[in-house]
Amino acid sequence: MALSDLDRVVLGHNPFFGVDHLSQAKAAERDAKFQAVDGILEMVRFARDNGVRGMMMSTHPRASLVADALRSDPPLLDSLNIYPLLPYIAKYVRQSNEKGLVNVVLDQVKGAGVGQTLSMFTRGGLAVLRKDVQEILRTLIQVELLPFRDLRVKAVFLHDALTDLGLALEMRGIFELYLEEIARRYEAEPAFATKNLPLLAEKFRAWGFEKPLVLTHFNKVGFNMNPSRQACERCLAESDVQIMTMGSLASGYLKPDEAYRYLFGLPRMDSVVVGVSTRAHAEETFAAIGRYWSAWPASAA
Amino acid sequence: MVNGLKSADVVAAADPARDLLQALQQSMPNLATYEDHEQMLASESLDAAVIAAPNDLHVAISLACVAKRVPFLVEKPLCPRAADARELLLKLAEAPLTNAVGYMGRHVDVFVKGKQIVQDQPLGKLVHLRCSMYVGQLFKRGKGWRYEKDKSGGGVLITQNSHLLDHLQWYFGPVEWVSGHVKSWHSTQVEDFAHAYLGFKSGLTGYLDASWSIRHYRTPEISIDVHGENGTLTVTDDAVRLFLDRERNGYPAGWSTWRKPDLYRPVPIDVGGPEYTRQDAEFINAVAAGRMVACDVRSAYHVQQVIDAVYESSAAGGRRVVISGDA
Repeated sequence: MALSDLDRVVLGHNPFFGVDHLSQAKAAERDAKFQAVDGILEMVRFARDNGVRGMMMSTHPRASLVADALRSDPPLLDSLNIYPLLPYIAKYVRQSNEKGLVNVVLDQVKGAGVGQTLSMFTRGGLAVLRKDVQEILRTLIQVELLPFRDLRVKAVFLHDALTDLGLALEMRGIFELYLEEIARRYEAEPAFATKNLPLLAEKFRAWGFEKPLVLTHFNKVGFNMNPSRQACERCLAESDVQIMTMGSLASGYLKPDEAYRYLFGLPRMDSVVVGVSTRAHAEETFAAIGRYWSAWPASAA
Repeated sequence: MVNGLKSADVVAAADPARDLLQALQQSMPNLATYEDHEQMLASESLDAAVIAAPNDLHVAISLACVAKRVPFLVEKPLCPRAADARELLLKLAEAPLTNAVGYMGRHVDVFVKGKQIVQDQPLGKLVHLRCSMYVGQLFKRGKGWRYEKDKSGGGVLITQNSHLLDHLQWYFGPVEWVSGHVKSWHSTQVEDFAHAYLGFKSGLTGYLDASWSIRHYRTPEISIDVHGENGTLTVTDDAVRLFLDRERNGYPAGWSTWRKPDLYRPVPIDVGGPEYTRQDAEFINAVAAGRMVACDVRSAYHVQQVIDAVYESSAAGGRRVVISGDA
């Protein structure tokens, strides 16, 4: 576990897919702005030119379009490590309420249009899938990762809603399956998003999962940090968790300067996800990171 | 979620879907599973139950809990029609038991702040209300029980807008009358759009508008905008904004804004939103103390009455329908 060559700065996908956890109006604006994939590519190129080598990608319905666009620019593609975050949870929550999770997964598999490429068909098809939660999860992972199949995937993050549900229900077996599946089948680092860092560190230590790569919130106002900002900071200082931080601007609530002064004043920080929607915003963000983090951009470029 | 709280453990689950039970058992070997809730209630000694089932089963399962004296938290909305819940109301009145309905919006920080401001009354007499709840999720005919009126009770008004109606009665008290219009577009049995003019017992009047078929709303979005004699208050999922003509009841003159990070309160464990943690913790703590919670079957019954009245009014061309106080 833990990546020795984790990218220091990773471009976040939220602005590109119309996600903003502070303002739904802003989310809609960005969604409109990035409807054309060219707009996304322009921002990715700009970030790459400023030293960014990693890109987070949720399995949003538009992820395939973005992945295809990246493939159309081989030099850009070759310069990027992709960090998928799966699944695109809004889709599953909405549909699970209506037809149950098993049926949602089955529909996803049928709708993927690539059934023969999925290993579930070699193991007995839908009937087997229906009875085996492990097969359901393996298939779900396969379906979700299809858009990224030939990209350079460095780590695959499990969405915080699922990680945190697994922690609450103490489903050690599900985590073991995820760790094994991502490492073996995809040769990538299995990683976890969470809003409960200290709990994850405690459970993983008890279960013997060493040095996990974790995507979690750190910001000076404690937004989305549970059970408290202080407990998360203590965990960072005392545990062996490798941290990629998100939400460092508290979804745009903080200015880059004050946000990164706090973030890189912490005892350590391994990586940071940044969401940028304009060149000016990107320049301001990268400059502020450079001011407070000696590890960047020199080692990333 | 409940299992993530230190004060509770999930020990049993009931669901007619055998696949789901098998999946749960594979992941949680110590969990007792049943294909029937009656069987579970008969076999297990439970301190409390959480009911998450299609709307038309909520009351029957709640009644089974009442019969076994098992406190329960039931998902919203309470039932397809208000009349369905009368027996449950009577039983709970005869022999009180901790019960809660899952309108978790009452635990969202921005709406808690809005409630506090309304309660502190800086706006003076409330005059006019306009509010909405939109999400862009249905742009073709939906499949499943949510779109079958007998099982769900209706469309966007009951399925999602019941959250907004619960906020309104929580903020402004009971609704006295409504004039409503609903419209189906993608759906055949249930409404995709709803609009209602509401008259509250307090004298406040105003309108709500709702749809699950409005584009560019990735997630459900509530907006409550109330005008009083001294200013205005707007509460949305993102922020609370208050304007006052001068300092009143401890609130400053002019604009005051509280955004989500200003109001954020961490929780012991967050699974999909702190509001769910707070809702479950409130229920479990109330069970342990033998207390009632505010968002209970009785208050959810009133939400149901308002929904029924909107449907009745719409069917009668928008005629004003007065809500009876039989709860």
